[in-house]
Amino acid sequence: MASVSSDEWRAVCDKFTNAQNLTVVESRNDPENDPFRSKYKARELLREIYCTLKSFEAGEGEEESGAESGEQRPPEPAVDGQREDGYDRGLSGDSPAGLRAAKLGAVEYYLGVNHVDTEELSAGQEHLMTCMKLLERCGVSSENVSLFIHVRNQLGILSAGWDETEAAQGFLETAESIYQRYLKEDGSPPTDMTEYFTTEENLLTHQERTKRFELAYTHTMYYLAQVYKNLGETERAATYCHSTLQRQLKLNQFSPMEWALNAATLSQYYITKGQYMEGRHCLSAATVISDLAGEVPSEAAAQESETEGERREQLRQKRAEIARCWIKYCLNVLQDSKKLLGDSIGELDTDRQEELKTARRREEEEEEKGRKSALLFGSEDTFDSIASLEEKVRCLLPLDFTEARAVFLVGQNYVTQAKEYFQMDGYVTDHIEILQDHSALFRALAFYEEDLERRCKMHKRRVDMLEPICSDLNSQYYLMIRRQMMFELAEIYNEMMDLKLTLANRQSDTESLDNHTVNKFNHLCSASTKYFQMFLDSLCSPEGKIPEHLEEEVLRPALVARFRVARLYSRLITSSPAAQLENLDKSLEHYKYVVQYCEAHPEATATVETELELSAEMVGLLPLQINRIKAKMVANN
Amino acid sequence: MRSKQKYEMSTIWIEEKHLLKFSRIELRGVLSVFFVCFDKTKTKWKRRKLKGMEFRVGAPVEGLLVFVLSLEGPSALSEHAKSEFKRVFQDLGVSVLSGASEGYNVCLFAYGQTGSGKTYTMMGTPDSIGLTPRICQGLFRSEDTFPDEQNSSRVEISFLEIYNERVRDLLGGGEQKKRASLRVREHPEKGPYVQDCKQAMDLLEEGIANRITAATHNHDASSRSHAIFTIQYTQANLENNLPSETVSKINLVDLAGSERADYHYCRDRLTEGSNINKSLVTLGIVISALAQNSQMSSSCQSINSMASEVDGSTVGSHSSSLSGGGGGGGGGGGGRRHCFIPYRDSVLTWLLKDSLGGNSKTIMIASQWNNWQHCEKTMAGMCLFR
Repeated sequence: MASVSSDEWRAVCDKFTNAQNLTVVESRNDPENDPFRSKYKARELLREIYCTLKSFEAGEGEEESGAESGEQRPPEPAVDGQREDGYDRGLSGDSPAGLRAAKLGAVEYYLGVNHVDTEELSAGQEHLMTCMKLLERCGVSSENVSLFIHVRNQLGILSAGWDETEAAQGFLETAESIYQRYLKEDGSPPTDMTEYFTTEENLLTHQERTKRFELAYTHTMYYLAQVYKNLGETERAATYCHSTLQRQLKLNQFSPMEWALNAATLSQYYITKGQYMEGRHCLSAATVISDLAGEVPSEAAAQESETEGERREQLRQKRAEIARCWIKYCLNVLQDSKKLLGDSIGELDTDRQEELKTARRREEEEEEKGRKSALLFGSEDTFDSIASLEEKVRCLLPLDFTEARAVFLVGQNYVTQAKEYFQMDGYVTDHIEILQDHSALFRALAFYEEDLERRCKMHKRRVDMLEPICSDLNSQYYLMIRRQMMFELAEIYNEMMDLKLTLANRQSDTESLDNHTVNKFNHLCSASTKYFQMFLDSLCSPEGKIPEHLEEEVLRPALVARFRVARLYSRLITSSPAAQLENLDKSLEHYKYVVQYCEAHPEATATVETELELSAEMVGLLPLQINRIKAKMVANN
Repeated sequence: MRSKQKYEMSTIWIEEKHLLKFSRIELRGVLSVFFVCFDKTKTKWKRRKLKGMEFRVGAPVEGLLVFVLSLEGPSALSEHAKSEFKRVFQDLGVSVLSGASEGYNVCLFAYGQTGSGKTYTMMGTPDSIGLTPRICQGLFRSEDTFPDEQNSSRVEISFLEIYNERVRDLLGGGEQKKRASLRVREHPEKGPYVQDCKQAMDLLEEGIANRITAATHNHDASSRSHAIFTIQYTQANLENNLPSETVSKINLVDLAGSERADYHYCRDRLTEGSNINKSLVTLGIVISALAQNSQMSSSCQSINSMASEVDGSTVGSHSSSLSGGGGGGGGGGGGRRHCFIPYRDSVLTWLLKDSLGGNSKTIMIASQWNNWQHCEKTMAGMCLFR
């Protein structure tokens, strides 16, 4: 650039640096009622740069047109299959003309971003489109590829903001393919856009260039994830989120705790889709990376300094949250397996168990292949630690008690961890949710346990865990939670009752049950009834009136509760006919309620079909039984 | 469920022929928000009901009272308008107090852009006091009307500021420089509370107005923070010779200026709109939204799924014989997979949890022009927590 003196050029560079400084640094200090002050100043500077460049161009153009016209390749005509991505275009990226275009383009880019920042979106878009057009004539090269990608990122964001999701997708996917092709065909650290206006001495290192370039592409991935989500392609969105996380890790552009939490959250997405292998991988990586965040400051240190105290809180809380994500993993694995293995009445179907075990041997080979294709996290140091954590818990569904128990124990371990932070006093809701998860883990494990006595003991553990808490809670603040707990406790007692009954019947088919068993049995019945009744009472108004209309969320539980109570009353064992009569009367009352409610509210019928059918039958049968007993009583007197 | 809906409307005329209307709706179970847009260009007012903005807030909600009015900035108000507002305040204040004395929790939100008159509405100036001092006065006045000694009451007041998710006590005594932030916790008995927060007991009514205005000046960065003024009103009465206590909480919340882009309280997890988050810092939000959408179940429904799963037990056990096996529960039912999303509700939502669901009445005052979409989002964010 012989015609441009180095002084003039230096002036341009200075202006640019100033503009950047205003945009990034000074703008933070702008007052609230004039929030874009610095940015407007930056804009002026950028415009001046633009004019200066144009004048340089005018000057150079005359000089060069003679010299270069012969050498300049004519722009290639459109060829079949030519892609939009800018490759194979006329001007070479590193020719002087190409460089000029890139510089002008860069100024347009910065002007565009400036306008977007000051909320002048249309103007911003214009500048960005101009930038793109300037580059259109050039081929992609290491001098301009960064700009190629940045401008498309910005256009993608803009289009999305205007609900032109497909346009956004177009821009971003183009950026993606440019990046990939560049890496394949060239790969050298490309010029960063700020370098267009720096003097020789201030050029960036290769390392820094690469870092910025890769960061731009990471953003492309991230924006694509969001665009896919908006398009409803959640699977692709998740894959791109995964890639973003992966890149952050690989390029060392992450803060450990934040990354760990994001990975843990992503694992939850995978879990809801039943993709346990990916979920496990995310969770293991999250655990390993969270350890990188360092030691938790001690209690003493926390007392002394507020920042240490906060750090302690943060670290402990986030690690506890990761533990909770693990709990959900274990729970879902067990529950899914239970669904697979369960038969129509909810017992373990041994035939199906056999089937699945044979099928699994085939699956394990598949798993190996799957591994390779799935995206893996980590660098050399973390790879092993992640893998070793993964080995501790299976990702294939457990098919028998031993396997289930292994998963259960892992889950239980994380329960303990999580409860350390989420203590009752301070985190009531969280603490209880953890307990509910623990209870659910037991419940799932009980499914695999063949010995009914041991099964009962597991349910007893659940009761011991939940019962004391239910009464402690303020009924006003924790209405929802109390209801859940009451219902769950009622169901557990019901379950235990059924188990006791089965056990007793197995022991002695012909002999009658002994006193102890009868008492135990009745106790369980009453406990279950009590909690169902508490649940139903909680639905009543403060005066005690039964609601005429049940809200959707409580409709089915309320009717089921009635149904169960009815059944429980009819099952109570008593030798006195009078008491038996009383029980059956109550039972009938509740069965009738179910039938009557469904008659009055036809829409409710669908939610409780089975129960309604049985209730209707009982409403028919019970009166006969009641009359028989009455008759017997009269006869005996 | 809409059978109890009734609303009244009245018109207030202000100079320049701008209409100011408000509508009051009382509903059961469903929160419906009516907005009045104050349109300068036209002389007709626009009333918009936000369709599809019906939320279930907890379960049996005794009645949500939503009251919205659209105001202009205080300086533009004429004398006539000011006296009309007095009337409005009285009306509002009465609803608040009656709710509280019946034992309901009441929560009143003032929402709107900076400078649109929220603080004026809530606090007022020494010559023209706003809602909060009026409500306090009203509370003390109502006590004078208790006929016998049997009923007594206790009033506890606290005034907090939430800025950047940190809680500061504005009544915190002399050393105003102390900016230690307080922790928000949940207690099994007391519900959500702020640790170490000062509660002033039984301030004299003259004292209240002064304390409040002084505290409002401490409430700096007011456009970016939320201020919560809480009155805990305990009434002791004798019912059938048994002492009982009715405790109700009145929360008067002055929300941060709605034009601030970073609404913490508005971080709706069900992300809507196609706006792209630019910074990688928000990756967590995007992933949370993915997981949240896949799960699509709330804690309410976990009772439902519990009830569904125990289907199988009914088979084979309905015979009249008292023996009979029949399997226990378990199995069956296509349940959803439940996950845990590491997401913290904003401090504001957590503290006001008890006021936004279950046994409470919520009132919202929106002072803004036409961006009711933001208000929509706020209510959505608040009501769809958990």
